[in-house]
Amino acid sequence: MAEERRFRSASGVPITLRRRQHSASCRELAVRGPRLQLRSLSAATSAVWLAAYGLFALSENSMVLSAAIFITLIGLIIYLHFVKIDQESLLVIGSLGIQVTSSYASGKESTIFIEMGQVKDVVINEAIHMQKVIYYLCILLQDPEDPQGVSEVVPLFQSSKPRLDCLIEVYKSCQEILEQRKTVPQSN
Amino acid sequence: NSPAPLPERAIYGFALFLGSWFGFILYLIWAYIPETWLFSLGLTYWPQKYWAVALPVYLLVAVGIGYILLFGINMMSTAPLDSTHTITDNFAKKQQQKKFQEEAIPALRDIPISEVNRMFFLPEK
Repeated sequence: MAEERRFRSASGVPITLRRRQHSASCRELAVRGPRLQLRSLSAATSAVWLAAYGLFALSENSMVLSAAIFITLIGLIIYLHFVKIDQESLLVIGSLGIQVTSSYASGKESTIFIEMGQVKDVVINEAIHMQKVIYYLCILLQDPEDPQGVSEVVPLFQSSKPRLDCLIEVYKSCQEILEQRKTVPQSN
Repeated sequence: NSPAPLPERAIYGFALFLGSWFGFILYLIWAYIPETWLFSLGLTYWPQKYWAVALPVYLLVAVGIGYILLFGINMMSTAPLDSTHTITDNFAKKQQQKKFQEEAIPALRDIPISEVNRMFFLPEK
Protein backbone atom coordinates (compact mmCIF):
# COMPACT_ATOMS: atom_id res chain seq x y z
CA MET A 1 0.00 0.00 0.00
CA ALA A 2 1.83 3.12 -1.25
CA GLU A 3 1.00 6.76 -0.67
CA GLU A 4 2.65 9.88 -2.08
CA ARG A 5 2.35 13.45 -0.80
CA ARG A 6 3.96 16.73 -1.80
CA PHE A 7 5.78 18.93 0.68
CA ARG A 8 8.44 21.65 0.72
CA SER A 9 11.99 21.53 1.97
CA ALA A 10 13.51 24.04 4.38
CA SER A 11 14.82 26.09 1.45
CA GLY A 12 11.49 26.03 -0.43
CA VAL A 13 12.11 23.42 -3.15
CA PRO A 14 9.25 20.94 -3.66
CA ILE A 15 9.88 17.41 -2.37
CA THR A 16 7.65 14.32 -2.25
CA LEU A 17 7.22 11.85 0.59
CA ARG A 18 6.36 8.28 -0.40
CA ARG A 19 5.05 5.96 2.30
CA ARG A 20 4.79 2.22 1.85
CA GLN A 21 3.55 -0.23 4.43
CA HIS A 22 5.01 -3.65 3.76
CA SER A 23 3.46 -5.29 6.81
CA ALA A 24 2.20 -4.45 10.29
CA SER A 25 5.72 -3.93 11.61
CA CYS A 26 7.57 -2.80 8.48
CA ARG A 27 7.36 0.62 6.87
CA GLU A 28 9.35 2.40 4.19
CA LEU A 29 9.42 6.20 3.94
CA ALA A 30 11.22 7.85 1.02
CA VAL A 31 11.82 11.56 0.51
CA ARG A 32 12.58 12.46 -3.09
CA GLY A 33 14.10 15.80 -4.07
CA PRO A 34 13.88 17.57 -7.45
CA ARG A 35 15.93 16.20 -10.38
CA LEU A 36 18.85 18.16 -11.80
CA GLN A 37 17.25 20.92 -13.88
CA LEU A 38 18.36 21.44 -17.48
CA ARG A 39 18.27 25.22 -17.11
CA SER A 40 20.63 25.30 -14.10
CA LEU A 41 22.98 22.86 -15.82
CA SER A 42 23.10 24.93 -19.03
CA ALA A 43 23.46 28.15 -17.03
CA ALA A 44 26.47 26.81 -15.13
CA THR A 45 28.07 25.37 -18.29
CA SER A 46 27.60 28.58 -20.29
CA ALA A 47 28.99 30.68 -17.44
CA VAL A 48 32.15 28.55 -17.21
CA TRP A 49 32.62 28.49 -20.99
CA LEU A 50 32.06 32.25 -21.39
CA ALA A 51 34.62 32.92 -18.65
CA ALA A 52 37.07 30.56 -20.36
CA TYR A 53 36.47 32.28 -23.71
CA GLY A 54 37.10 35.65 -22.07
CA LEU A 55 40.38 34.36 -20.64
CA PHE A 56 41.30 32.96 -24.06
CA ALA A 57 40.59 36.35 -25.68
CA LEU A 58 42.90 38.00 -23.13
CA SER A 59 45.72 35.47 -23.09
CA GLU A 60 45.61 33.90 -26.63
CA ASN A 61 46.32 30.52 -25.05
CA SER A 62 44.11 27.77 -26.47
CA MET A 63 44.78 25.44 -23.54
CA VAL A 64 42.27 27.54 -21.55
CA LEU A 65 39.40 26.34 -23.74
CA SER A 66 40.26 22.64 -23.51
CA ALA A 67 40.83 23.03 -19.77
CA ALA A 68 37.37 24.57 -19.43
CA ILE A 69 35.73 21.67 -21.27
CA PHE A 70 37.63 19.18 -19.10
CA ILE A 71 36.71 20.99 -15.89
CA THR A 72 33.02 21.12 -16.85
CA LEU A 73 32.87 17.40 -17.60
CA ILE A 74 34.80 16.29 -14.51
CA GLY A 75 32.86 18.73 -12.34
CA LEU A 76 29.52 17.40 -13.58
CA ILE A 77 30.54 13.80 -12.94
CA ILE A 78 31.79 14.59 -9.43
CA TYR A 79 28.63 16.55 -8.65
CA LEU A 80 26.30 13.78 -9.80
CA HIS A 81 28.24 11.05 -8.03
CA PHE A 82 29.15 12.67 -4.71
CA VAL A 83 26.91 15.68 -4.11
CA LYS A 84 23.45 15.46 -5.69
CA ILE A 85 21.23 13.21 -3.60
CA ASP A 86 17.99 12.27 -5.37
CA GLN A 87 16.22 10.19 -2.75
CA GLU A 88 16.67 9.47 0.92
CA SER A 89 14.70 6.59 2.35
CA LEU A 90 14.05 5.13 5.76
CA LEU A 91 13.10 1.47 6.19
CA VAL A 92 11.84 0.63 9.67
CA ILE A 93 11.48 -3.07 10.47
CA GLY A 94 9.96 -3.50 13.91
CA SER A 95 11.97 -6.38 15.30
CA LEU A 96 15.12 -5.97 13.24
CA GLY A 97 16.28 -2.37 12.89
CA ILE A 98 16.30 0.79 10.82
CA GLN A 99 17.99 1.19 7.45
CA VAL A 100 18.81 4.62 6.01
CA THR A 101 19.58 4.80 2.27
CA SER A 102 20.79 7.76 0.21
CA SER A 103 20.59 7.44 -3.58
CA TYR A 104 22.78 9.77 -5.61
CA ALA A 105 21.94 11.09 -9.08
CA SER A 106 24.59 8.86 -10.71
CA GLY A 107 22.88 5.76 -9.28
CA LYS A 108 25.20 5.24 -6.33
CA GLU A 109 23.48 4.20 -3.10
CA SER A 110 24.94 4.39 0.36
CA THR A 111 23.16 2.66 3.25
CA ILE A 112 23.46 2.59 7.01
CA PHE A 113 21.79 -0.09 9.13
CA ILE A 114 21.11 0.37 12.84
CA GLU A 115 19.81 -2.65 14.74
CA MET A 116 16.77 -2.19 16.97
CA GLY A 117 18.66 -2.94 20.19
CA GLN A 118 20.72 0.21 19.71
CA VAL A 119 17.80 2.49 18.83
CA LYS A 120 16.51 4.47 21.79
CA ASP A 121 14.02 6.65 19.93
CA VAL A 122 13.32 8.57 16.74
CA VAL A 123 12.65 12.24 17.54
CA ILE A 124 12.25 15.61 15.84
CA ASN A 125 14.99 17.87 17.17
CA GLU A 126 15.55 21.56 16.48
CA ALA A 127 19.05 22.97 16.16
CA ILE A 128 20.91 25.92 14.76
CA HIS A 129 22.25 25.23 11.26
CA MET A 130 24.25 28.05 9.58
CA GLN A 131 22.11 31.09 10.30
CA LYS A 132 18.74 29.33 10.69
CA VAL A 133 17.01 27.13 13.24
CA ILE A 134 15.75 23.99 11.52
CA TYR A 135 13.71 20.97 12.55
CA TYR A 136 15.29 17.66 11.63
CA LEU A 137 14.50 14.04 12.33
CA CYS A 138 17.14 12.04 14.15
CA ILE A 139 17.66 8.57 15.60
CA LEU A 140 18.87 8.52 19.21
CA LEU A 141 21.19 5.62 19.92
CA GLN A 142 21.24 3.95 23.30
CA ASP A 143 24.20 4.16 25.66
CA PRO A 144 25.07 0.60 26.69
CA GLU A 145 26.10 1.63 30.24
CA ASP A 146 23.35 4.14 30.98
CA PRO A 147 19.83 3.12 29.91
CA GLN A 148 18.56 6.71 30.19
CA GLY A 149 21.43 8.28 28.29
CA VAL A 150 21.94 8.98 24.60
CA SER A 151 25.27 7.92 23.18
CA GLU A 152 24.91 9.19 19.63
CA VAL A 153 22.58 11.21 17.43
CA VAL A 154 22.11 10.18 13.77
CA PRO A 155 20.46 12.97 11.77
CA LEU A 156 18.22 11.84 8.88
CA PHE A 157 17.19 13.48 5.59
CA GLN A 158 20.19 15.80 5.69
CA SER A 159 20.20 16.85 2.06
CA SER A 160 16.48 17.20 1.41
CA LYS A 161 15.75 18.87 4.80
CA PRO A 162 11.96 18.54 4.87
CA ARG A 163 9.84 21.00 6.81
CA LEU A 164 7.96 20.26 10.01
CA ASP A 165 4.74 19.01 8.36
CA CYS A 166 6.59 16.30 6.45
CA LEU A 167 8.67 15.44 9.51
CA ILE A 168 5.57 14.99 11.66
CA GLU A 169 4.21 12.45 9.15
CA VAL A 170 7.45 10.49 9.20
CA TYR A 171 7.63 10.76 13.01
CA LYS A 172 4.12 9.38 13.48
CA SER A 173 4.82 6.45 11.14
CA CYS A 174 8.05 5.60 12.96
CA GLN A 175 6.47 5.90 16.41
CA GLU A 176 3.68 3.48 15.47
CA ILE A 177 6.30 0.83 14.85
CA LEU A 178 8.57 1.74 17.76
CA GLU A 179 5.66 1.58 20.20
CA GLN A 180 5.22 -2.09 19.33
CA ARG A 181 8.61 -2.71 20.91
CA LYS A 182 7.28 -1.97 24.37
CA THR A 183 4.18 -4.15 24.11
CA VAL A 184 6.04 -7.09 22.55
CA PRO A 185 8.96 -7.92 24.85
CA GLN A 186 12.24 -8.32 23.03
CA SER A 187 14.12 -11.59 23.37
CA ASN A 188 17.71 -10.29 23.78
CA ASN B 1 26.17 47.72 43.13
CA SER B 2 23.62 50.37 42.16
CA PRO B 3 24.29 52.67 39.20
CA ALA B 4 23.58 55.79 41.31
CA PRO B 5 25.99 58.72 41.10
CA LEU B 6 28.61 58.70 43.88
CA PRO B 7 31.37 61.22 44.70
CA GLU B 8 34.09 58.66 43.86
CA ARG B 9 32.52 57.99 40.50
CA ALA B 10 32.39 61.73 39.75
CA ILE B 11 36.11 62.06 40.54
CA TYR B 12 37.02 59.02 38.38
CA GLY B 13 34.94 60.40 35.55
CA PHE B 14 36.56 63.83 35.68
CA ALA B 15 40.08 62.35 35.89
CA LEU B 16 39.31 60.18 32.84
CA PHE B 17 37.92 63.22 31.00
CA LEU B 18 41.04 65.31 31.66
CA GLY B 19 43.32 62.38 30.84
CA SER B 20 41.66 61.68 27.50
CA TRP B 21 41.77 65.38 26.52
CA PHE B 22 45.46 65.50 27.47
CA GLY B 23 46.17 62.36 25.44
CA PHE B 24 44.35 63.78 22.43
CA ILE B 25 46.21 67.14 22.52
CA LEU B 26 49.50 65.24 22.90
CA TYR B 27 48.67 63.09 19.87
CA LEU B 28 47.84 66.21 17.80
CA ILE B 29 51.09 67.92 18.83
CA TRP B 30 53.11 64.82 17.94
CA ALA B 31 51.38 64.35 14.57
CA TYR B 32 51.30 67.92 13.30
CA ILE B 33 54.25 69.91 14.74
CA PRO B 34 57.34 69.52 12.48
CA GLU B 35 60.24 67.52 13.92
CA THR B 36 62.68 70.46 13.79
CA TRP B 37 60.50 72.55 16.12
CA LEU B 38 60.27 69.65 18.60
CA PHE B 39 64.05 69.15 18.45
CA SER B 40 64.62 72.83 19.13
CA LEU B 41 62.52 72.51 22.27
CA GLY B 42 64.75 69.61 23.40
CA LEU B 43 62.15 66.84 22.90
CA THR B 44 64.10 64.41 20.70
CA TYR B 45 63.01 60.92 21.79
CA TRP B 46 59.60 60.58 20.08
CA PRO B 47 58.38 57.66 17.93
CA GLN B 48 58.43 58.07 14.15
CA LYS B 49 55.59 60.14 12.75
CA TYR B 50 54.75 57.20 10.49
CA TRP B 51 52.94 55.68 13.45
CA ALA B 52 50.64 58.70 13.82
CA VAL B 53 48.90 57.48 10.66
CA ALA B 54 49.61 53.76 10.92
CA LEU B 55 48.10 53.14 14.36
CA PRO B 56 44.61 54.50 13.58
CA VAL B 57 44.57 52.50 10.35
CA TYR B 58 45.60 49.33 12.20
CA LEU B 59 42.84 49.95 14.74
CA LEU B 60 40.09 50.42 12.16
CA VAL B 61 41.14 47.37 10.14
CA ALA B 62 41.21 45.33 13.37
CA VAL B 63 37.65 46.46 14.19
CA GLY B 64 36.49 45.49 10.69
CA ILE B 65 38.14 42.06 10.89
CA GLY B 66 36.73 41.65 14.39
CA TYR B 67 33.18 41.68 13.04
CA ILE B 68 33.95 38.85 10.63
CA LEU B 69 36.04 36.99 13.21
CA LEU B 70 33.27 37.10 15.81
CA PHE B 71 30.75 35.77 13.28
CA GLY B 72 33.14 32.96 12.40
CA ILE B 73 33.83 32.04 16.04
CA ASN B 74 30.09 31.90 16.67
CA MET B 75 29.56 29.56 13.75
CA MET B 76 32.44 27.33 14.84
CA SER B 77 31.18 26.94 18.39
CA THR B 78 27.63 26.01 17.33
CA ALA B 79 27.12 22.32 18.01
CA PRO B 80 26.87 20.25 14.77
CA LEU B 81 23.58 18.51 14.03
CA ASP B 82 24.92 15.09 15.03
CA SER B 83 26.23 15.99 18.50
CA THR B 84 24.50 15.05 21.73
CA HIS B 85 24.87 18.65 22.94
CA THR B 86 21.69 19.48 20.99
CA ILE B 87 19.75 17.01 23.16
CA THR B 88 21.20 17.24 26.64
CA ASP B 89 24.16 18.46 28.68
CA ASN B 90 26.04 17.64 31.89
CA PHE B 91 23.61 19.41 34.18
CA ALA B 92 20.61 17.59 32.74
CA LYS B 93 22.32 14.20 32.97
CA LYS B 94 23.10 14.65 36.67
CA GLN B 95 19.79 16.17 37.73
CA GLN B 96 18.01 14.62 40.70
CA GLN B 97 14.37 13.64 40.61
CA LYS B 98 12.43 15.19 43.48
CA LYS B 99 9.52 13.18 44.87
CA PHE B 100 6.09 14.28 43.69
CA GLN B 101 4.17 16.08 46.49
CA GLU B 102 0.44 16.71 46.45
CA GLU B 103 -0.72 20.36 46.32
CA ALA B 104 2.85 21.57 45.62
CA ILE B 105 4.28 23.09 42.46
CA PRO B 106 6.36 20.37 40.74
CA ALA B 107 10.11 20.92 40.86
CA LEU B 108 11.76 22.39 37.77
CA ARG B 109 13.55 19.79 35.68
CA ASP B 110 14.80 19.10 32.18
CA ILE B 111 12.20 17.01 30.33
CA PRO B 112 13.67 14.34 28.01
CA ILE B 113 13.24 15.03 24.32
CA SER B 114 11.21 11.84 23.68
CA GLU B 115 8.53 13.02 26.12
CA VAL B 116 8.46 16.50 24.61
CA ASN B 117 8.07 15.05 21.11
CA ARG B 118 5.24 12.78 22.17
CA MET B 119 3.40 15.69 23.74
CA PHE B 120 3.81 17.95 20.73
CA PHE B 121 3.43 15.67 17.76
CA LEU B 122 1.35 12.67 18.77
CA PRO B 123 -2.28 13.72 19.25
CA GLU B 124 -3.81 12.68 22.57
CA LYS B 125 -6.77 10.38 22.06
